[in-house]
Amino acid sequence: MPPIIQITNLTKKFGNIMAVDHLNLEVEDGEILGLLGPNGAGKTTTILMLVTVIRPTEGTATVGGYDIRKNPDKVRELIGVVFQEPKMLWVSTTWDIVNWHAKVCGLPNEERKRRVRQVLEDLDMWEHRRKNVHALSGGMRKRVELAKVLVQRPKIAIIDEPTAQVDVVGKHRIWNMICRLRDEGSTIILATNELYEADILSDRVAIMHKGKLLVCDTPKTLKDSIIGGDIVEIQLENDASTAIIGDLKNFKEVVNVLQIKPTLLRLYLNKVEEVVPKIMNMLLKKNVPVTSIHMSEPSLDDVFAHYTGLTIEEAQKVGV
Amino acid sequence: MLVAERDVRLFFQYKFLIIIRAIWFVSQIVLFGLIASRMINVQEVPDYFRYYVSGLSIMTLYSAAIFIGFDIYEEAEHGVFEYLLSLPVSRRQLVLGRSIGGGLRAFIYVGPLIAASLYVIGAVNPLNFLAALFSLFLFSFGVSGMSITIAVMIKSIDRFDILMGVLDALIVRLSTAMYPLNVVQTANPIYGGIANFNPVSYAADLFRWGTGLPDIITLDNPLLPLVGIIAFFAIFTFIGITIYDRRIEGGGWQ
Ligand SMILES: Nc1ncnc2c1ncn2[C@@H]1O[C@H](COP(=O)(O)OP(=O)(O)O)[C@@H](O)[C@H]1O
Ligand SMILES: [Mg+2]
Repeated sequence: MPPIIQITNLTKKFGNIMAVDHLNLEVEDGEILGLLGPNGAGKTTTILMLVTVIRPTEGTATVGGYDIRKNPDKVRELIGVVFQEPKMLWVSTTWDIVNWHAKVCGLPNEERKRRVRQVLEDLDMWEHRRKNVHALSGGMRKRVELAKVLVQRPKIAIIDEPTAQVDVVGKHRIWNMICRLRDEGSTIILATNELYEADILSDRVAIMHKGKLLVCDTPKTLKDSIIGGDIVEIQLENDASTAIIGDLKNFKEVVNVLQIKPTLLRLYLNKVEEVVPKIMNMLLKKNVPVTSIHMSEPSLDDVFAHYTGLTIEEAQKVGV
Repeated sequence: MLVAERDVRLFFQYKFLIIIRAIWFVSQIVLFGLIASRMINVQEVPDYFRYYVSGLSIMTLYSAAIFIGFDIYEEAEHGVFEYLLSLPVSRRQLVLGRSIGGGLRAFIYVGPLIAASLYVIGAVNPLNFLAALFSLFLFSFGVSGMSITIAVMIKSIDRFDILMGVLDALIVRLSTAMYPLNVVQTANPIYGGIANFNPVSYAADLFRWGTGLPDIITLDNPLLPLVGIIAFFAIFTFIGITIYDRRIEGGGWQ
């Protein structure tokens, strides 16, 4: 089956800023594609171009076979969006917003009422249905925003950071509902800067940084693909010197050393069981006290770091 | 149509504003109207009070229809555009829906006032009156369309406010809403020219013609203002669609 979304050289410049830089990406029918990247990576801009709200500077995309430049009306018929910042006027009530959205999307009367109620109940928002949205917390508004698309059940749902500002219990509920939406037949693009969210929900993850696509594959393949697949974090008592980092890099099995904090080093390496004793010996000899040592599987953060040399958290700070 | 309905309902959420405007309308009639009709003794207008009341209805309709432009800024501030633009609705339907919504709600709002002025005037010919009412509809939609177009073009609430003030001065004050054409004409031929090619004049003239006040103004040919209003409506709806699509993206809203 051909991909339901095909993005070709999609580019958006805001003045001098390359918000999205020649992006090429395919989305398969029925999958959840995670769009992972730090703030400012260009996720939201990509989404706004896909839903034909802003025009690309260069390149294009097809959605369900329709070109976003040539057939924007057709494209919008297939898509529902959950915006990063909920878009609503303060005078409207929760129920009004969701119900109106369902109406515009052409849901028949009976079904609409039933579904609006169902979704608002599932999201724990039914009791707040008569409240003006300005009286709601950020997390609640986010849920109202999500409710629109859950009621709509579009062919393609684009969801921009659904769980920002939502508490832990709420997060799990939202994740379940996103999975259910996929199981009911929607294709989903999920933009997020949360590693865990991208990892557990996505069938495939596309990692973006500075408007560019770094890599796109299943979370498992991405994590397995890292050379130096093993990770060791060493917590030192004192700040690590450049000399020590240099010494660590000299082990041939060590692929990379990141200084996460002044006293915390993260090593990417092979043959962990053989190397760790050697490292310990070396550190003892050089009189570098170690507080703790921790071995782990790579995460998507490590994938990101592998391509950029930064953790996502660091990239957020630099990126702004 | 849903787009239109939404705008109508949003408008009536601003209850406070509506009440203020209604009070303003009534006080204008009572205070100024009565005083002015005593003071002004224009020969062409035997009964300035009735003339004034009908003109005031048109002016209120105008300012209510303009209101949608301010909604646009409110929406820009809350990012609601992006939402509206992402809906499965074509740009044409969106702008048309909003012009109609903006016009319709103005109409509903001014409805009681029109009824009140009809009572004061004492409407005569029902058929004429329906025709006049229809043209007021179009006028109202056209003004909304104009308001949307301008709001989207200049993207700055301060400048919009000022420009609306200027427009108000130009096309409302310099229309036949308040004074008969030849009075304006005598005051200054340029003013008269503006009043002559002015949708507000058209609307006011038609309304008076419809309510059977031809003894107050002599309207040789009611088709002329009718065509004027239809053109006004068509032009701004069309420009609105084109501009809305082009200008709305990319931010820059103040
Ligand atoms: N309307 C805009 N005008 C100017 N710059 C923008 C605009 N929208 C986004 N940007 C810039 O484009 C870049 C990408 O932003 P965005 O797509 O929001 O990233 P993300 O959603 O991944 O956090 C950022 O540097 C941001 O400042
Ligand atoms: Mg974003």
